Amino acid sequence: MSDFGKKLQPGNRGNDHGFGRMAKRFSNREKPRNIKETLSKLWNYYREEKKILIFLSVVIVLHVISTLFSPFLIGRVIDAVDMKKGMTSQVLRPLLFLLFCYISATVMIWLEGYLIAVPSQRIVKKIRMHLFDRVSRLPVRFFDTRSHGDLMSRFSNDIDNISTTITQTTTELISGFLTVSGSFVMMTVLSPLLTLGTLSVAPVVFLLTRFISRKTRSYYRDQQTALGSLNGLVEETVDGLSLLKAFGQEENLLGQFTTVNSKLYIAGRNAQFFTGLLMPMMNVLNNLSFAVIGLLGGFMVFSGYITVGVIASFINYSRQFVRPLNEIASTWNTLQSAVAGAERVFEIMNETEEIPSVKNRNIPDNAEGRVEFKNVSFSYIPGIPVLKDVSFHVEPGKKIALVGETGSGKTTVVNLLSRFYDDYNGDILLDGVLLQDYNRQSLGNSFGIVLQDSYLFTDTVFNNIAYGKPGASSDDVIEAAELSNAHSFISHLENGYETILTDGGTNLSQGEKQLITIARAVIAKPLILILDEATSSVDTRTEKKIQDAMLKLMSGRTSFIIAHRLSTIKDSDEIYVLENGEIAEKGNHEELMALKHKYYNMVRQQYEKFDIV
Amino acid sequence: MKLIFGYIKSCWLLFSLALLFLSMEALCDILQPTVLSYIIDFGIKNGEMDKIIRYGSWMFYISVFGALNAVSRNYLSTIVSYKIGYRIREDMFRKILGFSFENMDGFDGATLMTRITSDITIVQHFINGLMRVFLKAPLLGIGSIVMVARLNRGLLWIYAVLIPVIVIIISVNMAVGYPLFSRVQQALDRLNKLTREFLNGIRVIKAFNSFRYEKERFDKANSYLAAKTATSMKIMAIFPSMLTFSINMAIVFVLYKSAFQIETGSIGIGTTIAFINYIIQFLFACMIIARVFTMFVRAKASSVRISEVLNTFNRMKESIHPVNRIIKGEIEFSGVSFSYGSGENVLNRISFRVNAGETLGIIGATGSGKTSIINLITRFYDPDEGKILIDGIPVHEYSFESLRKNIGLVAQKNKLFTGTIEENLRWGKENADICELDKASEDACIYDYIRNSPEGYKTLIGRGGVNLSGGQKQRLAIARALLRNPAVLILDDSTSAVDIFTENRIRSALKNRKNRMTTVLITQRVHSLIDADKILVIDNCYAAGLGNHKSLLKSCTVYREIFESQTGERG
Repeated sequence: MSDFGKKLQPGNRGNDHGFGRMAKRFSNREKPRNIKETLSKLWNYYREEKKILIFLSVVIVLHVISTLFSPFLIGRVIDAVDMKKGMTSQVLRPLLFLLFCYISATVMIWLEGYLIAVPSQRIVKKIRMHLFDRVSRLPVRFFDTRSHGDLMSRFSNDIDNISTTITQTTTELISGFLTVSGSFVMMTVLSPLLTLGTLSVAPVVFLLTRFISRKTRSYYRDQQTALGSLNGLVEETVDGLSLLKAFGQEENLLGQFTTVNSKLYIAGRNAQFFTGLLMPMMNVLNNLSFAVIGLLGGFMVFSGYITVGVIASFINYSRQFVRPLNEIASTWNTLQSAVAGAERVFEIMNETEEIPSVKNRNIPDNAEGRVEFKNVSFSYIPGIPVLKDVSFHVEPGKKIALVGETGSGKTTVVNLLSRFYDDYNGDILLDGVLLQDYNRQSLGNSFGIVLQDSYLFTDTVFNNIAYGKPGASSDDVIEAAELSNAHSFISHLENGYETILTDGGTNLSQGEKQLITIARAVIAKPLILILDEATSSVDTRTEKKIQDAMLKLMSGRTSFIIAHRLSTIKDSDEIYVLENGEIAEKGNHEELMALKHKYYNMVRQQYEKFDIV
Repeated sequence: MKLIFGYIKSCWLLFSLALLFLSMEALCDILQPTVLSYIIDFGIKNGEMDKIIRYGSWMFYISVFGALNAVSRNYLSTIVSYKIGYRIREDMFRKILGFSFENMDGFDGATLMTRITSDITIVQHFINGLMRVFLKAPLLGIGSIVMVARLNRGLLWIYAVLIPVIVIIISVNMAVGYPLFSRVQQALDRLNKLTREFLNGIRVIKAFNSFRYEKERFDKANSYLAAKTATSMKIMAIFPSMLTFSINMAIVFVLYKSAFQIETGSIGIGTTIAFINYIIQFLFACMIIARVFTMFVRAKASSVRISEVLNTFNRMKESIHPVNRIIKGEIEFSGVSFSYGSGENVLNRISFRVNAGETLGIIGATGSGKTSIINLITRFYDPDEGKILIDGIPVHEYSFESLRKNIGLVAQKNKLFTGTIEENLRWGKENADICELDKASEDACIYDYIRNSPEGYKTLIGRGGVNLSGGQKQRLAIARALLRNPAVLILDDSTSAVDIFTENRIRSALKNRKNRMTTVLITQRVHSLIDADKILVIDNCYAAGLGNHKSLLKSCTVYREIFESQTGERG
């Protein structure tokens, strides 16, 4: 009866933490698939904390022992008192022992909480770090196929789950198990018959728990599914509210919402009803075992088999017996979901990493930037080729414009060049060396990439630009900003370069965001420049200025540009017209115009009205 | 909290019934130790077997009666709390659907999400808890005191010492725990935010190969979180042991005192045992009350966050006598100025007029206010100054329905919703037949794609249209707008991801449609505007020119500059 305090700890991020977590957790509420393997992996983390954990086990054992002896001692005191001997040593001795037991239990409870803190957090921290490390080394293809929400939930919910388990469930389970078996032994020693009577409720407890957990499991799953779809629906609604209103779809959405909401209500209600039965039922069983002790015990004292003190002890033991059983039953579920969570975390750790470069070459300082594609074929989804046997050769310092319809493979060319994907057929060479032979670090540093989606980090404008060149000075940053014409608008921001961009830069316009990403590429002074439709949503006046800057930047650099604007295209040294994953035409503007074929048609369609073709 | 009680009131009958059952349940718990003491003091002591059996069966009946109450109470509390959760969720969703854009700007999407899920769940749990343990705990606590007083007043003073001690322990626990807990939560939020960013920006990170920087950031936040959690766990470890200790000391004391009192016969042995049980019961009650405080604070915070949404005032009201009519499509702005909230004006004294069936092109720098013009035409916002007329009638006089039914909007960032292509298209017109669907998708140049997909119109679109390319999404959005055959078609930079051939095909298809729509076309490409009847050039939130292509080339410097930069030619 001495460790009721556990639930008070603030570290308890247990069930009442709300659905937000559970919502995402619903998919891992299922039973873990490979418990053994997962546990052995978890065990590896535990093992590194061996010393403290061994010490902790000793503390738990001492705690349980003092808990076990106290009811026994209470019984002894009562028996002594019962003999009306007054304050003799027969009363005093067990009473002092009891006092000692209680004090030791107090210290042990404190030590348990104190000792588990550091190692448990260290373990969680390690797992998180390992996961992060692993994820960094996964290929882009992995991120194509996974939703960020799911990954996110592995980082937060699943690891959180493991954390809670490590801190609480472990000690609870061990001490619960010890208390139950210890109580059983003590009771048997005191009176086997009364033990049998008291334990007659145990099978009922067992069956009840099993019945309830079986009932609830499917309801919980329904509830989490409903919650998942409710989440999705709200997310879409909030995201697309303007369109929804513009198309007057409020009623439609409300209807969908009501359906999901009702499902959630029914599943949640059922789940809660059965779960809610558990606690009062336990309580009732506790009372029943009281009744049994009173009746049977009373009869036994009456017949002289036992003393009154034994009844007092039994009442306390029966409490101790039922409560941990209850706890084990409930922690078992937590444990199961934690193992499932751990499994999801380790699953990521088992993903195949990017192939590390075997030769691990560095790109030399005097690299030229000669790029060659030799019979390159590639598909994102097996069976649907995006690039078919593409070959080309780019001399150092040349500007290449990639044009073609959406889906013709322009973006894929630059994706492969940036080594986002490794699993293509054919060879890609940089200065005559296979791309895979370079080390990633060095390769990454030599590419300046401005992607279609300008992605900015929650940080200052300064740091977002300096991102392209770690350790950049403020002169570097301002220079890059000026070069990409971002300086003037940045200076107009409230805090200038120290303005903190909110989530993904929502406080900037699309164009301004792109200017910053351009500056980020500019500051890196890369060997090869890749511009993927980077300027398409910057307005044309700004674009003109960017173009000037880009021209400066591109001079002497091999550049690949995916652009729609004629002026950009005309300025390039060579134009590749892509069609269905193949290069349909190749040449400079004049050559291709003279060819009077695909490129010619395209340009005419776009510009004939201006009479400038 | 007012919110919670408001909802409880709506279920007051079931709620009070649940409380009644709860009280009965508590009473049963309280009676047990006393009956047990009767068995010992009257039955065993006096050697009367029939009393043992009588009181023993009392105990049994009380247990069963308690069980019945517990089950009924559980049934009711579950229904009431979940029903309330259901209602709050629905009310909140309705509210969000009715939000004006101004309201929307006040909440970011993620908060609304957590409010409608976690916050409501927390409130729901709290209400459920009210009918479960929360009110039972004080009953148990008070009950145990009453029973002890009945059994033996001489021991009552132990409670007088125990209660203040426990109150102090719990309050110190709360006072110390909350700041610690919220600091841990903050650290966790920070780490989560970092992780989200890491995952979203993975391509950029790979492109710049900046893993070392990212790792350092992550490591720092991770270590901080671990350290904070460990520290607070260490500090908090003391409280449970203190609480247990004080209760246990009370038990020792009771035993010690009874040794004297039993000797003098002023107390029975059964009373002592009962007393010990009451103290333990009292401890249980204290523990639960401590948890109630935690839950209460959390539920209070959640209910405030829910109320914020539910009490949001929507200034954008439909006019009292809304105009319902078929719109022809004449649009006029006269002297319109507009700002988002209290910020600087994004539009200054804009005036223009488009006749029904004409095309208005709008061109200008990023952030110059082009999209704001559209937000005003569709009445997502009301202007600060000036008038906006459609067919000569101010927009705010139209009913929302008739205004928006006549406008086909293709937004800059097009959202497609989870569902099939058909379901998404039918937003434009619910009861459209297959010919209409075909025609709209043909005009938007997405017909071939749909036909070539194995599932055709039934092709499923993933959340946010993940399985479609940017161009395909835009074309579907155009088809969706065309399907409603609107009087006014608004294209907000909506072909930016469509290649030039396709864009031209779409444009000529639009031109050849039977009914001439008024088209408002926002674009960055001059060549898209060349046929427009009127072009509005926006520069720095002011109108820099209004006219057609030819006249603007002559009269408007800004326009000429744009033209030259795009074509690389002198105009």
